[in-house]
Amino acid sequence: MDLLFFNLALAAYLISTLGYIASLLVGRVQIAKASTWILFSGFALHAAFYLAQLIMTHTLSIRNFYETLSFFALILCGIYLILQLKTKTRVLGAFISPVAFLLMVGASVGVEGPVSMPDTLKGSLVTLHVALSIAGEALFALASCAGAMYLIQNRLIKEKSIGSFSRLLPSLKELDNINHISLLWGFPLLTLGVIAGSIWARTVWGSHWQWDPKQIWTLAAWLLYAILLHQRLALGWKGRRVALFSLLAFLALLAGFILEKAFFATAHKFM
Amino acid sequence: MMNLILLGMNHKTAPLDLRERLSISCEGADHPLREIIKIPGLDGVFYLSTCNRVEVLAQTTQARDAQAGLQEFILRHGNLSREELVRCLYVHEGQEAVRHLFRVTSSLDSLVMGEPQIVGQVKDAYRQAVETGTTGIILNKVMHYAFRVAKRVRTETGLAANAVSVSFAAVELAKKIFGGLQGKTVLLIGAGEMSELAARHLINYGAAQILIANRTPVRAEQMAQEFHGRTVPMDRIEEALGEVDIVISSTGASGYVITAGMVAAALRRRKSRLLFLIDIAVPRDIDPAAGAMENVFLYNIDNLQDIVDENVRGRMQEAQKAEAIISEEVSRFNRWYNTLAVVPTIVSFKDKAEGILRAELDRSSAWMQHLTQEDRDNIEILAGSIVNKILHDPIISLKEESQDYDAIPYVAALRRLFKLEDE
Repeated sequence: MDLLFFNLALAAYLISTLGYIASLLVGRVQIAKASTWILFSGFALHAAFYLAQLIMTHTLSIRNFYETLSFFALILCGIYLILQLKTKTRVLGAFISPVAFLLMVGASVGVEGPVSMPDTLKGSLVTLHVALSIAGEALFALASCAGAMYLIQNRLIKEKSIGSFSRLLPSLKELDNINHISLLWGFPLLTLGVIAGSIWARTVWGSHWQWDPKQIWTLAAWLLYAILLHQRLALGWKGRRVALFSLLAFLALLAGFILEKAFFATAHKFM
Repeated sequence: MMNLILLGMNHKTAPLDLRERLSISCEGADHPLREIIKIPGLDGVFYLSTCNRVEVLAQTTQARDAQAGLQEFILRHGNLSREELVRCLYVHEGQEAVRHLFRVTSSLDSLVMGEPQIVGQVKDAYRQAVETGTTGIILNKVMHYAFRVAKRVRTETGLAANAVSVSFAAVELAKKIFGGLQGKTVLLIGAGEMSELAARHLINYGAAQILIANRTPVRAEQMAQEFHGRTVPMDRIEEALGEVDIVISSTGASGYVITAGMVAAALRRRKSRLLFLIDIAVPRDIDPAAGAMENVFLYNIDNLQDIVDENVRGRMQEAQKAEAIISEEVSRFNRWYNTLAVVPTIVSFKDKAEGILRAELDRSSAWMQHLTQEDRDNIEILAGSIVNKILHDPIISLKEESQDYDAIPYVAALRRLFKLEDE
């Protein structure tokens, strides 16, 4: 019962992914539209999975790597669906849906559903910290995805190879918009997540700051994004430069995540 | 046998002057429809004339007479010889006539395959025919089928998807860069025909303002009025480059009108706004080095032509899908047509009445419980004979009609009134 919603959501993500692939192959918009609805129902089921947890245990179970993947997928889909309403770039769904599906496949290895948490991880502040941070990072992932698509589309237009691939991608303006919206929302969310985490760290470890590798790396990435957002908002940076920057910043974030997981002992390991 | 016949000539079979002669002469005194419908043996007619074709679709029960009459009409108006007539005119009958109509309406038979105007032209021609009163049940149905086929071809294939003219290619590129053209400013340098056409397309797609720079200020003023834009002196182009989003250059100048230095200077003032430069002049107006700069996209006439050529090849492939849709719809129309035959209509008419009778008797069986078996049988017999009496006259009349006259209007009316339509 505990994993029922999770598995249903996983199935829905699979179907919507297949739908998007079919729509690209056949070139029919109706199939893509249906896939968006299936993706939406996957998202709803996935959200129900977390809602049920919240009701049963009053906390979200996001302790290990796998559960992080699952939560990441949820946020990614949620953001895409909102973007779909706002920008009508349906083709993005064809990129997001398979990513969500693969994240869920990875997550299914280790997701256990609601379990009792270690004492240090109890409390709504931890939940808030994890939820906000992951939401912020998911938005940065989306920004980098849009950035990568921008670089490709920019390259294709410059090189005058306006073939079928270029047609699949949204216009430069739309990609820049998605990047902009993602950064604009992602940055405050991550900021709030970090603040929530440091308040909680103080209550548990007695200090806001532990010189934990994850903390250092996150702060570095946060600074990168702060610079990027400043350039974008204050200096009017747009287009290729922002796309490249947000792609590199996210790669740095990702590298930190992997390195720190592989080589360092960190206070963030709860597995 | 489907009693439709189509005669016509198009850009592939007849030279322009011949088509011209024919269409002008036809339009002469009265609308050609009024003249054609007088030809003996015709029950309905649809007449289409565009710059690329003249087509006559007629409904007739006497195909030979009708064809002869129509050929006579074309001979007279086109003022052409028998030999020319044979060479230029095509005649399709029955399903092939339907197929040809579908192909024309779907723009498969057009000079520029997939061009969107033809549907509108066919619709106008059809409205004329309806207003003149020369269409019957069959023509109405086949025309509605044709419009549906055209819609299917447009939405289900990429036949009309990509630009096959240089100016449309420019519009598509602009959309790829800017998303939409709403609120964009366009600078036209040189007032050639091509740049005017491109500007017109850009405005149609929402471009907000047009600036015009031209060697002769009078001409620039003229165009500014035409596009509700404003003029820019040639020596202020560098300044204008800082503001606009799209530049279309087509002067006859021998050197570069826009140098890389001018673009570089403009970029500093533009921050990161994207700039789309279209150079349709030969020799070129814009220094190719500008195209390498960040946030600048430069296309010259050859680049645009390459895109067009590529798209034309793409349309050829999509045309095959469209042909499949058309074949499907032709056989669908054929099925509908066959339902108009008298015998199947009588059968389904009887079936419908029989069905109603059965259903009502079943419903009444509950309150008939208290009656004896004999009474119940009598009620059934009574109800059955009422139904048969009512059916008798229409069925006999329909059979007689089918021997003497064309029964189709009656069959169609019957099917419609009693909802026997199967499509």
